[in-house]
Amino acid sequence: MPAYKYDQTMASEESLLLDCLNRIKTNLDGYFAVHLHLSRVRANNKPPNFFNIASRIFDSLIKTDDATLFPMANTDMILVCRDISVDDVDVAIEEVRRQVIEDPLAINKKGNSEDRLATWFDLSSGEDFDTFLAAATDLAVQAKRKPGEMATGRGDQRMAVLPLSPSNLTSTNVKLEAMRVADLIRRQACLKVSPGCGGVLEFRELFISMNEVSERLAEGVNLFASPWLFQYLTKTLDRRVISTILKEDYKNLLDAISINLNISTVLSKEFEDLHRVAAEHADKVIVELQFIDILADMRNYTYARDSLQERGYRVVVDGLSPLSIEFFDPAPLKSNFLKVAWGPEFDGNDGVMRSFISSASKDSVILARVESQAAVKWGLNLGISRFQGFYIDQVVQRMGSGKQ
Amino acid sequence: MADSDDKQKRLPSQEGLLLEYVRRLEEHRDGRKIVHLHLSALNPDNRREQHLRAAADNLEPLIADMEAQLFNLKNDDMFLVYKSENHPQVETTVGQVRFLFSEDPLVAAETEQQPFATWYDATTDYETLLRLVQGVAEAEHNSVAHERTDVRGALKAKQELGVPMTPDVLAQLAAALARTDLSSLMHRQFVCKIDENMVTTEMFSELFISIKDLRETLMPGVNLLANRWLFQHLTETLDLRMLSMLVKTDSNLISGEISFNTNVSTILSKEFKAFDENVATSRRGKMVIEFQKEDIFSNLSSYLFARELLQKKGYRVCLDGVALETLQIINHQQLGVDLIKLVWGTELADYGQDGNDIVREAVTKEGPEKFIMIRCDAREAIDFGCSVGINLFQGRYVEYLIAEDGRRNELVRLKRQIERN
Repeated sequence: MPAYKYDQTMASEESLLLDCLNRIKTNLDGYFAVHLHLSRVRANNKPPNFFNIASRIFDSLIKTDDATLFPMANTDMILVCRDISVDDVDVAIEEVRRQVIEDPLAINKKGNSEDRLATWFDLSSGEDFDTFLAAATDLAVQAKRKPGEMATGRGDQRMAVLPLSPSNLTSTNVKLEAMRVADLIRRQACLKVSPGCGGVLEFRELFISMNEVSERLAEGVNLFASPWLFQYLTKTLDRRVISTILKEDYKNLLDAISINLNISTVLSKEFEDLHRVAAEHADKVIVELQFIDILADMRNYTYARDSLQERGYRVVVDGLSPLSIEFFDPAPLKSNFLKVAWGPEFDGNDGVMRSFISSASKDSVILARVESQAAVKWGLNLGISRFQGFYIDQVVQRMGSGKQ
Repeated sequence: MADSDDKQKRLPSQEGLLLEYVRRLEEHRDGRKIVHLHLSALNPDNRREQHLRAAADNLEPLIADMEAQLFNLKNDDMFLVYKSENHPQVETTVGQVRFLFSEDPLVAAETEQQPFATWYDATTDYETLLRLVQGVAEAEHNSVAHERTDVRGALKAKQELGVPMTPDVLAQLAAALARTDLSSLMHRQFVCKIDENMVTTEMFSELFISIKDLRETLMPGVNLLANRWLFQHLTETLDLRMLSMLVKTDSNLISGEISFNTNVSTILSKEFKAFDENVATSRRGKMVIEFQKEDIFSNLSSYLFARELLQKKGYRVCLDGVALETLQIINHQQLGVDLIKLVWGTELADYGQDGNDIVREAVTKEGPEKFIMIRCDAREAIDFGCSVGINLFQGRYVEYLIAEDGRRNELVRLKRQIERN
């Protein structure tokens, strides 16, 4: 039995790949392989369905019998081709790259052979074949060793293994109800920046660090496995956050705070409890509502927004991305703020934001997830003055107390 | 006898208390005012529990601080009795409550015949007021006789809705779905072009698994729609079942032009790939894939990828479940869909000219051939659609028209046969 024949009883993709190499090794003319290191893409840079999308991207290549795709257990992908034009493969790889454009792994300057997303092997060269065979064998060994852990990929290693599913949703929810969360609440500043005059704190967003929640849940559940089931849990998170901030001394609160809530929570008894303690200082409380939640029930949104604004609270529409703002007109939402996450799509392209602002007004836009000074400059150039993100956190730290 | 005993034992109703209170006012009319909030005239969508609670919460300070008295009637109307000196505050507060409902036709199109609030001064309007609350109390009193049937009605409605779905039920259901033959739960409804004579031309039919039937078969007594997100999760399982049925059913079910609803993630799955490989290339042009807006926006890049994949292969893509409010917000052109399903609801008509203008503008912009008015359960829906330039329709009323057409054609055929004989 050849050394690289790994396990015949289990027809895993890893063993199929080794079989394939075994079959073709007698005549390697025209063969090459591409190893896509998708497992190295950071978990939060992977769009949902990413693995499926990547598979679909290669479908057109695979239709010809001269290419085979092997999806590995660790979420890497291996493409083995024979006499297929490198340009055709490039087209597919670039499409995969576009899906994870936010990840450092995706950066590949033209003509740079050091592409960290894809490694090419010319199998007709003996040296490359051996290197590739070694890599394929490694993948097979890894897959056998940790079948469970591998499934979520290296990038997700901090995340637990069990995906959130209907069968563990109740127990997760119960745990969430009882779990200590106050110490997992993070605060992030939203800064109003005026050119030349520095920044003034607009508000601090309170949010629960979900990665830490995930870690604290004893059994370890990947809370993000299903967007819909995660939404279900957010109702509980809402209650937990509200109960925490009920204790704030609103009269002496220096800075406004913002919290993320479901629309249904705004209309619930829990929010009325908050209102009872915060009513006099409603101007210090900002409620952030998710765009998806809004879209799902516009009538309840309209009602919740009016009832909040009427009582002096301010409303943020959260969950907007460089992509999503191309697809809707924000004006009818009549919120106080619209929070758009910064993304590399904005680099050298301000047309989309310009037209968004022309409908929404520049004073309502908050540019969030700002990680560099360049992003702030980009925003200021467009007239945006409110910013939030890691870079802003650093600025605030330098500012001292956060107050000027 | 037993009847009247029952009534006496019954807790006093708000209507009864109001009458009692107003009667006692006779001696102290001076300096009292009453405002009647006609919340019963609000659109039912606008007077759900949370809306009424918000209204009551607004009035709360008046009761606490100014010794005003609030009566919440069964029909959702409210009466507030207060001291005249507090009139300015009450007026402001009622203004605030009114603002809560500013989008409702009752406020938006307020008329003298149907105002949002009616104001009474006990000094001058006492007789009118007394007659009014007597009428209110009497009506309530009479309705008690019907209460038993109301309980039955309410119980029936509750049973029809069922207990809310929980995650555990969802897990059971997903397991049950995997081993149940759903073909008997599959329904089809036609999308038709309708001309000015109400004659229908079938364009394609939507295939769907009836949620009501599904519940009755697998989970009697459970309201599958109670939680939007749990239901959304369920649809992912249903998608796969639908696909497997479509692959298996070669004959009648998927004949003609069809459409079906699915999640974006399903299109990217290996199950859809298998389905697609089974579909003849020529058939793809006869299939419409429908997506929900929440699903699209929850992951736009997946959607864009899926849409391109589908359209390249020849499928058509439809945006499902658009209501008046979302119509104004979503940039349909950018989404690149071939068809848009606009949900009929009385609010479309209730918005009056505004609603009409919003829809007409969208139809003109996107092209009338793109729009389908769905959930048309009455002639009114078709009339509204025609008035804004829509000519494709779907819903119970459309099914009725098709049946009528069928009946008419059958009569014509019989008549010809008789003539020939």
